[in-house]
Amino acid sequence: MRISSRRLGVYAVALAFAIVVNFILPRLMPGSPVDAMVAQLGPRATPAAVEAIKARFGAVDQPMLWQFVDYLKGLATLDLGVSVKYYPQTVVQVLGRSTLWTVFLVTTAIIFSLCVGVVLGAVSAWRRGGRFDTIVSPLSVIMISVPPVIVALTTLFVFAVSLRWFPVGYAYDPNLDPAFNFTFIGSVFAHAILPVLTLSPFLIGEFQTTMRSSMISVLGEDYVTMGRAKGLSHLTVMFGYGARNAMLPVLTNLALMLGAVFGGSIVTEIVFNYPGLGLTLYTASIARDYPVIQGQLLLMTLATLGANFLVDIIYGLVDPRLREAV
Amino acid sequence: MRSSKRVFRDISMRAGWAVLVAFAAGSASAESVLTIHIEEQSSWVQNFNPFDLAGRRQSTMDFIYEPLVIFNAEDGGKPVFRLATDYKFSEDMKSVTYTLRSGLKWSDGQPLTSADVKYTIDLMLKNAALDTVGVGVGETVASVEAPSATQVKIDLKAVNSDFPETLADLAVVPEHIWKDVSDPVAFKNEKPVGSGPMTELRRFTPQVYEQCRNPNYWDAASLHVDCLRLPQISGNDQMLAILPEGNMDWIGSFIPQIDKTFVALDPDHNGYWQPPAETVAFQMNFKSGNEGNLEAYKDLNFRHAFSLAMDRTSMVDIAGFGYPVVNEHATGLPPRFETWRNKGAEGDKDAFMGFDTEKANKILDDAGYKKGADGFRTTPSGKPIAFAIIVPNGWTDWIDAVQIAVEGLRAAGINASVATPEYEQWRKQLIDGSFEVVMNSRADGATPFRGYYQNLSTAYGGRITGAPSRYSNPKLDALFDLYLKATSEDDHKKIFNDIQLLIADDFPVVPVFNGPTWYQFSSKRFTGWVTDKDPVMNPEDHDNNRMRLMHLLRLKPVS
Repeated sequence: MRISSRRLGVYAVALAFAIVVNFILPRLMPGSPVDAMVAQLGPRATPAAVEAIKARFGAVDQPMLWQFVDYLKGLATLDLGVSVKYYPQTVVQVLGRSTLWTVFLVTTAIIFSLCVGVVLGAVSAWRRGGRFDTIVSPLSVIMISVPPVIVALTTLFVFAVSLRWFPVGYAYDPNLDPAFNFTFIGSVFAHAILPVLTLSPFLIGEFQTTMRSSMISVLGEDYVTMGRAKGLSHLTVMFGYGARNAMLPVLTNLALMLGAVFGGSIVTEIVFNYPGLGLTLYTASIARDYPVIQGQLLLMTLATLGANFLVDIIYGLVDPRLREAV
Repeated sequence: MRSSKRVFRDISMRAGWAVLVAFAAGSASAESVLTIHIEEQSSWVQNFNPFDLAGRRQSTMDFIYEPLVIFNAEDGGKPVFRLATDYKFSEDMKSVTYTLRSGLKWSDGQPLTSADVKYTIDLMLKNAALDTVGVGVGETVASVEAPSATQVKIDLKAVNSDFPETLADLAVVPEHIWKDVSDPVAFKNEKPVGSGPMTELRRFTPQVYEQCRNPNYWDAASLHVDCLRLPQISGNDQMLAILPEGNMDWIGSFIPQIDKTFVALDPDHNGYWQPPAETVAFQMNFKSGNEGNLEAYKDLNFRHAFSLAMDRTSMVDIAGFGYPVVNEHATGLPPRFETWRNKGAEGDKDAFMGFDTEKANKILDDAGYKKGADGFRTTPSGKPIAFAIIVPNGWTDWIDAVQIAVEGLRAAGINASVATPEYEQWRKQLIDGSFEVVMNSRADGATPFRGYYQNLSTAYGGRITGAPSRYSNPKLDALFDLYLKATSEDDHKKIFNDIQLLIADDFPVVPVFNGPTWYQFSSKRFTGWVTDKDPVMNPEDHDNNRMRLMHLLRLKPVS
């Protein structure tokens, strides 16, 4: 599988742009990590103590250009600096422990929603105008437009706080220690159910809508008519002939939506006290933990670029026409 | 990704260790585990470095490192001796000698001696970033000696009868461990060796950690709790969601509608006591760069009118959910120091502490503050007055209180507004003096002296966030100095009476209310809680309250 050099060039430019913005943005914001540290010291922040902290964070007043060179050096060696909030943990450590949880959450939500959304979309396109379609399609529009924070708070209140069916927070029962046994893995899933359900309505709605419209155009194609003419079962034609080929726009949509999914996971993680990147970003923003914010934004940019890259590749695999065009 | 694997492996290794320990302890009788909430974090970081004020877990002080002596504010500031059995000032008051308890041991079994105390203070003197108690601030300590294994002599640079109170925040660390630490500022102290009751970390995960009994604790006979369990809680909302589970024993949280959301869950066991704490007051910047504002701030009439424009009752009832109490005195004395109250500094002198817009307007009219076309007043010399009152972003109850203040001020023709910078920015403005007016609380000590001294003395003006007003009054400074040099309680009280009189007359800040203490408990698993019927000490479990150690030692598991 090859990807055109022009396409790779686009990725390189996007990456460079992201790195530069990531460097400049925090420096435009008021306050600095050193201020934050000093603020936490409180009345004991003697001038000598402030100097010591400045030295520790390398916050000596040097020209922007040199700061940028240092920043690039850090990137190259995977040294993103030290967290202010979780000092003395490094940014890589902080992001390391959060990334796994968010990836788990987001992936589970996407797979779940993809399954549900695609089937709903396919079926409502197959029976468009029918009762199923007239209920599901408007519902999807509603699901897309309800803000994640409302979904999260409602789910938390109803299923966790009032009914007590699910835990109200954490990634797993705090009394357990991470291990590969049934109890622990079960606990991880039990704690993920509500956050995943919170992330899903938006995704399901999006997938259903995209799938439905794509499916409708596919259903008009000759090969579908032929499948029907051959006397194949409805299910075979619907999924084997129709849905398979209608999936492409859904995948495109998925790549475009990744940012929104991460955005939704920030809210979800805060509401459910889920120890992923969202909660970390939120805490870091409040604490003015620039090194962590910076590292995380970079990570998210890389993730989005990477996901697009992946979709490019999958596209080639799924769509034979593109494979030949390269 | 590489690092996340490492973190995961770390956690699993610790898990294995915890299982082993649990197995070993399994044969003993049921242990008593106290679940407490003392800080809000989105993930625990294993940091028990007592010198790292920002990063340390807040169970480090007292529970891992025991103080030499604690002063109980609810008991007239009387000393409660812990690692030390006594301290004595020299004749000239220029040095103070502490006597340590004999036979003290660190949690690893090594003896704890005066050399450790000397080592710790020297460490702070050498490295300003470690100076968490201020032994070097204002050049306090000249030198430390250890004449015998149980004696520590601290030479002071100037007479300071308040020094032992300062030293109550000292965490003595073991020399035999710390001498090998190359960078004590960055040291995480993951497996602390300490002197307090709860030194053994049995379990540490990002979501919960457990701190258990020190096998060599000197006062083990008084200790009935085997382990502290600290679940990670990220904020007030999370707390509200987990309260119905009924697993928390000792809580220090802001809980709205506490009777409904907490007590009602288990009326037989759940309780709280939130006595008034520090005084919250409006402070004007006496070094403001704005000429008009400065002229107004410096005018006693203006400050009186400012105070009369404050609807303190609404601030307490509406902004503060009824938790704070109105401070009715021009001296601003916090209610917890009732025994220090000078009645002579009250009564008539509190004439400007009510809410009376009419009177405020009259005072300003009489003093020559004329209203312009826009309805706002100018100073007697004709300069405009306009200022923002700063309050940290997100402190919703305080923002509401400032909002109420601004409404009152505007009704008196004063052009005031609210600004909500980020917390760090807010603190920075207080320190560098780039603000106009601020609503702020000030930290109390075991006696009211420390709060007043650090808030209103020239020495502290603008140096710490508690003293942003930069107020300077030579008469007051002289009284403070006299107090520091006085040694008897009678003298201290007499001088403090004068301090109250002076403040009531000069009205440097505008006191409004006293914020609550944050303390809730459940007696389901433990008894011995401090309550309003037994108000012997500050009940909070927060890091700034040394008495929490004595509170822990009162608790007994329900049999």
